[in-house]
Amino acid sequence: MEYSENIKVALQGLTDHKFRSFLTMLGIIFGVASVIAMLSIGEGAKREAIAKYQDLGVNNIIVREKDMSAAELEEVRTKFSPGLSLRDAEVIRDIVPGVSRIAAQAEVNAEVKYASQSVKSSVIGVTPEFYDILNYQIKEGEFITPIHYDAKHKVCVLGSGIAYALFQKEAPLGKMVKIEDQWLEVVGILENKALFTETVGELAARDLNTDVYVPLSMFLDRFSRGNVLASELQQLTIQVDNSDRLMETSTLIDEIIRRHHFGNEDYGIVIPLELLKQEEKERQIYNFLLGAIAAISLIVGGIGIMNIMLATVMERTREIGIRRAIGARKSDIMGQFVTEAVVISIAGGLIGVVLGVSLSLLVSVFTDVSTYIRLYSVIIAFAFSVIVGVVFGYLPAKNAANLKPVDSIRYE
Amino acid sequence: MSNLIEINHITKRYEMGDNVVMALQDVSLTIRQGEYLSIMGPSGSGKSTFMNILGCLDTPTTGEYKFRGVDVSHLNDDELSAMRNREIGFVFQNFNLLPKLDAAQNVELPLAYAGVPAAERRERAVRSLERVKLADRMHHRPSELSGGQRQRVAIARALVTNPGILLADEPTGALDSKTGIEIMRLFDELHQEGNTIILITHEQDIANYAIRNVYIKDGAIHYDRLNSQRTIVK
Repeated sequence: MEYSENIKVALQGLTDHKFRSFLTMLGIIFGVASVIAMLSIGEGAKREAIAKYQDLGVNNIIVREKDMSAAELEEVRTKFSPGLSLRDAEVIRDIVPGVSRIAAQAEVNAEVKYASQSVKSSVIGVTPEFYDILNYQIKEGEFITPIHYDAKHKVCVLGSGIAYALFQKEAPLGKMVKIEDQWLEVVGILENKALFTETVGELAARDLNTDVYVPLSMFLDRFSRGNVLASELQQLTIQVDNSDRLMETSTLIDEIIRRHHFGNEDYGIVIPLELLKQEEKERQIYNFLLGAIAAISLIVGGIGIMNIMLATVMERTREIGIRRAIGARKSDIMGQFVTEAVVISIAGGLIGVVLGVSLSLLVSVFTDVSTYIRLYSVIIAFAFSVIVGVVFGYLPAKNAANLKPVDSIRYE
Repeated sequence: MSNLIEINHITKRYEMGDNVVMALQDVSLTIRQGEYLSIMGPSGSGKSTFMNILGCLDTPTTGEYKFRGVDVSHLNDDELSAMRNREIGFVFQNFNLLPKLDAAQNVELPLAYAGVPAAERRERAVRSLERVKLADRMHHRPSELSGGQRQRVAIARALVTNPGILLADEPTGALDSKTGIEIMRLFDELHQEGNTIILITHEQDIANYAIRNVYIKDGAIHYDRLNSQRTIVK
């Protein structure tokens, strides 16, 4: 018997009992849909995490001053810590092997004013390396250049958010803004950057788009720092050549800075790549759990198929007898019923794929959970549904094939 | 004419728990090509068991069953399936057509299991339906046909593989007498065309259509004789 005959018979059986077939498929439909939805949510979370840490730079080690109260600051100063400074950056560059670039930054919170507009902002003094190390994209004009830095030019680069808040539809380039008592010329606007929604180590969550960047040299000369005890710098971002050596390098950096700060732990070290790895590990357990739940629902769907197939075989004992009497072999009967089960599970699988994909899209559109559907997850879910059909169709088909023709032909 | 079927000393034993039932004891029978034979017997006589063995639906416990000189009493399940497919044309009391298939599809079914390609299948099925004068009903499902028509579809299905024997089990049992006579006329014609026909029945009236009568009682052949009062269908 040609195999296409089996498929024809199976499709016939499916359309003869549309509602029953649909109910039988439900388990598979939800199983496949949930596998796809769960995997896409897991994948979405993964991509979000990767994007977040890529912003911090996967080859970077970030040394950041701890957030300290005035009393704490006074205490570390009395214990001789000079605080984070350009001197630290120089020492690291001289001693630590494999360091390719270091960006230094100092910060102060200030009002930025233009015409009648006034916006609260973080004013960040940076070295020109900052732009390359931290993956910033410029939208208009240019970032702080070595020329600006060396000549201590009174210029600034605006985040996209603050540029809009100050200038709305006006062109900001070349305009002068006022920060504290300084007038600075706008030389560049940054591309919009994703919100930094989570606090990572010493790095507090905030909106990078409201930052204003100025040359560090000019910043240190002209901006007052609220507290006279304030450190020279708030952050060093150190880029290494080889991400495999991040851990060793950071240990070395830690030792050097600690020595220079006379044992005071007034700074923290963040390694974005390590955090990414750690987060991935945690998520793996979570993903495994989600996957297991989805897999269980597929198995339950399979049991549903088996249940119906067992009933179908009972119901069609006579048909099986007739087929056997006119020459069907056991394997023909077996093939027929396994095919029916597989056709049900394939049909359920296809509907499940459509449902799962739409579910993932709906989730990402209507909630702030981001999802990403990878082709492999669709293939896995679908393949699983076919396997479920074969596995759970096997036993009922075996029963059907083993019916004795003599008995089944006279079955009423 | 040559011997189509040779049955030598077969027995069939059923064990049901502690009870041992001898359904057939020492039955021997020879059937030649082209014979028209009835096997009659009351219910419980072993007639059905004998038919199952003749039809290769079952195998004897002991003894030998030769079909065209080949011993088929020890064939495995697949080989028995192939025997049924090629050599046995079953006609049942209750037709045993598949309700979801139309007449032509029902007739094609044995050919499908024989691996005949679809186009040839259809052609042979149509020819077989023409033989039983039902070609105009080939696209009707069994539920759309009368009892007599259904039985003719079943006969067309039995004939389509050109089997060695037509094995008819109470072929008129579910039909009114007038339709029954029509079916018996068809068997008569088929016999005259050279088909070997075995009628299984418990009715003397039906057995009388056959040329040779075998009577089974208590699992053994009671008599085996030529029918002197044969009913001739006009």
